[in-house]
Amino acid sequence: MLRKPFKSPFLLSLMLGFTIMACNKESIDTEDENELITSVKLNFTANGSTQTFAYSDPDGDGGKAPTIATISLKPNTTYAMTIEILDESKNPINNITNEVANEKDEHLFIYTPTPSSLLTYTYGDKDSRNLNVGLTGSAKTGAAGTGKLKVQLRHQPPVNGKPSKDGSTTPGSDDVNIDFNVTVQ
Amino acid sequence: MKRTGFLYIILLTLGVSELSAQTPKDCDCFIQGIVQDGVTKQPIVGAVILIKELNKGVSTDAKGFYRIANICQGKYTIIGRIVGYEEKTYTISLEHGTEQNIKLSETELHLANIDIKAQKIENLTQNKTSLENAALDQTRGQSLGEALKQISGVTTLQTGSSIAKPVIHGMHSNRVLIMNNGVRQEGQQWGSEHAPEIDPFVAKKITVLKGAAGVRYGSDAIAGVIMLEPDALLDSTVLKGEINSVYFTNGRQTVNSGIIEGGFSNSNAKKSTIIPYSIGYRVQGTYKRGGDVSTPNYRLANTGIQELNYSLSANYKRKNWTSDIFFSQFNTQIAVFSGSHIGNVSDLIEAIKRGNPLAVYTPETFTYSIGRPYQDVLHNLLKIKNTIKNRHGVLSLTLGRQYDFRKEIDILRGDKNLAQLFKLTTYTGELLFEHQPLLKVLSGSVGINSLYQENLTTGTLTEPRSSTVLIPNFQNLTSGVFVIERIVRKQWEIEGGFRYDFRHLNVYRIPRGEQNTVNNQRNNQNFTGTVGINFRPNARWNFLTNISTAWRAATVNELYSDGVHHGAASFERGDENLNPEKALNTSFTINYISQILQAELHFYNNFINNYIFLSPTGRPALTIRGAFPEFLYTQTKASFQGFDFTTNLQFVKNISLNSKISFLKAQDLSHDQPLIQIPANRIENTLRFDHKKTTISLTNLYVAKQNRVPTKIIFTDIPSSEIIFNEYGGDFAPPPSAYTLWNAAISQQFAIRNKSSLTISMTVSNLLNTSYRDYLNRFRYYADEIGRNIVFRAKYSF
Repeated sequence: MLRKPFKSPFLLSLMLGFTIMACNKESIDTEDENELITSVKLNFTANGSTQTFAYSDPDGDGGKAPTIATISLKPNTTYAMTIEILDESKNPINNITNEVANEKDEHLFIYTPTPSSLLTYTYGDKDSRNLNVGLTGSAKTGAAGTGKLKVQLRHQPPVNGKPSKDGSTTPGSDDVNIDFNVTVQ
Repeated sequence: MKRTGFLYIILLTLGVSELSAQTPKDCDCFIQGIVQDGVTKQPIVGAVILIKELNKGVSTDAKGFYRIANICQGKYTIIGRIVGYEEKTYTISLEHGTEQNIKLSETELHLANIDIKAQKIENLTQNKTSLENAALDQTRGQSLGEALKQISGVTTLQTGSSIAKPVIHGMHSNRVLIMNNGVRQEGQQWGSEHAPEIDPFVAKKITVLKGAAGVRYGSDAIAGVIMLEPDALLDSTVLKGEINSVYFTNGRQTVNSGIIEGGFSNSNAKKSTIIPYSIGYRVQGTYKRGGDVSTPNYRLANTGIQELNYSLSANYKRKNWTSDIFFSQFNTQIAVFSGSHIGNVSDLIEAIKRGNPLAVYTPETFTYSIGRPYQDVLHNLLKIKNTIKNRHGVLSLTLGRQYDFRKEIDILRGDKNLAQLFKLTTYTGELLFEHQPLLKVLSGSVGINSLYQENLTTGTLTEPRSSTVLIPNFQNLTSGVFVIERIVRKQWEIEGGFRYDFRHLNVYRIPRGEQNTVNNQRNNQNFTGTVGINFRPNARWNFLTNISTAWRAATVNELYSDGVHHGAASFERGDENLNPEKALNTSFTINYISQILQAELHFYNNFINNYIFLSPTGRPALTIRGAFPEFLYTQTKASFQGFDFTTNLQFVKNISLNSKISFLKAQDLSHDQPLIQIPANRIENTLRFDHKKTTISLTNLYVAKQNRVPTKIIFTDIPSSEIIFNEYGGDFAPPPSAYTLWNAAISQQFAIRNKSSLTISMTVSNLLNTSYRDYLNRFRYYADEIGRNIVFRAKYSF
């Protein structure tokens, strides 16, 4: 008497569960989740020749350690400098540089050499409110020496429809924050 | 004698005795009646009739008759209980000068007895606290987590002001089980910023069971269980309703909620051959909308909320058969404070250094609009329950389906829409049999629970497309069987039970940097047990002691996390080799009730083997977005020891003092240091003045500084040369200072015509507009808690 009503409704409940699942094959497409950046390339051009130095972490955060090139420049030279940011985990490669260019009003690149005598960066582009962007610019090296160049991309989106970008580093958050070793010789 | 498992209590007379010269004028009411078997109408001998508020009780005599005299005026809850029958509860109102015979018609009473909603097995020996009636009304409009703070020992883990998760005795998320209308709530509860997907307006009673409760509720119930229960549906031909309106000045939040319920029964049918049946139904809905909230000194940009919830329920009762159906939908959009969008640890350190958020995140202008980042959550719950009674007992089958769809929309370039998506579908089934008393003393139940769950975050279940999702796709099948038996004597109740659970987890994921799907399978099984004693030497004292175990298998985020936790500025790594947690919880509760003093002291010691937590390594994890401190999921032996003390002293007529103290010491026993993120000790005192239908109260809350925080990195295999985040034991900032808050409230009830009533109240929280930060708020690093909030509430019932 006790056993009988036990088994069958229970099995029924389980089967019901599986049956509904079977005809409900959902899927999620997250093609541009996380807006992943895997590579940052700096292009230095002087006297008609271009050198490219890359920071590359193709498997994204974690996993294998990134490879970071050492920037090697000549002293007392002015280089035209551009930056490219890419998501190389996608096929074809997703060029995020264009997205940043389209949203200049909420992006700011910051280049910080240490020591500061290593090189001087001058912005070459402005956004619609005449604030610096940093996709293109120039770098003038100082005397021979070694140090670091910190490259930051600040994402400074509007807050409640009001722009937050004010030309300073402070608002927003880092989309890129990496250090290159620099040799000026 | 036919025993059908329910009591039939007739409240014969209830009124004012004329012969009461010795007793004070107001305390000369009495209540008397007869207790009968619901079907056979045979008198029940030895049933206990208790007045809950006074803890006054009598037993029925040989004719089933009882009488309790010298009761003061007021509202009381009458409980009738005897082993083998369902407990019956009535609310009565005794008023001086109005002699009244109870107006319940016989048929109404009869059908009320067929009501078998009380299927849940009451745990008799563990500490339970409920929020209902006026206490629940005072929390209306707040989220579930906020509302439960009324209960001593319960705090919240917050993400700003709008996301609050309940914390019981220092534990939260997967260690707190929520039973929503009898169904185990399954959302994305593993996330510390994922609040329960529940509209508290659905419930008329919210109960917190503190301590491990693995035997009845299955895996995960390590810290406790939160049970939300609606009122029983109506079973006579009436129409009732309730409207609640709440306005919060801070955030200009409005909450409107309504209930319409009715029923139909053929009990008035002339022919006695017709089998009586009844139908009950309820429609309930809530709409909430709030804008940016303010701290005492600044407004927080993008902190609005919107919520639209509804539920439908119906039942059909016929003789020994009841069918219930319940559907609810919860729908919310919660804006997340713009200033909390932290990139890497240097962003976070800058934010901490600044103290206050930047001006751009603290705008002058108020807005209701919800911008990025925000969460968008949908939760559906469908429950179907069938219950049948026969001479052996009560058999019930509860089936549930839940669907939880969570979107976390971040600030993305190019206004891209997709963010982290989580789709969780859960099927639950429970078959429960409550048997008739064996050998006249042993009552109890046996049951089987089963749960099947499917989580989708990328691609299709077996073919994930992305390796960068927060948690992988998985299937989870859990089944358990349990037995709980109890012996109820006049002064003693002894309870014991055990359970076996099996869990199968099937994970489909693409590991970082790889192309192919990996399938990981895990099987866990476990036995849990409980034993407890409830001793009631007399009407004033009650002693409970209980030893229970519970277990919890590691969740997928603990096993497979591998990436940056957005907003928390931490790099979190799971550990595939984590073993299930096992808790051994011992508790002891002393309860004292007299007319002027009610006190409860609850001691607990929760020892957890393999306690899983996130611990800093102090090492930086280098990413293209900068350095993040690394945190690993690891396990340890942990203990949670403490006490909750609640007292209510009515030292003068109309004036009472309510005090609550919560003390908790949580220790990582393997590493001999305190555990991280444990709520600070606190004391709350409320002075209350009641006169007729007016209540005025003033509350002081003191929360101490959490001085017990970890001081060292626990991973010994990490060379000290790699450790760079070593301050505050791996935390980003020291715990905030102690704080004191004042709250005030006034409420007034009006009677409108015979059955309608209107209650209006005004509450001011953070009366002095104090700036403070709480250790368990994730935003404590860069923003204050919200300032003064004046809340107006109106409740109209008809």
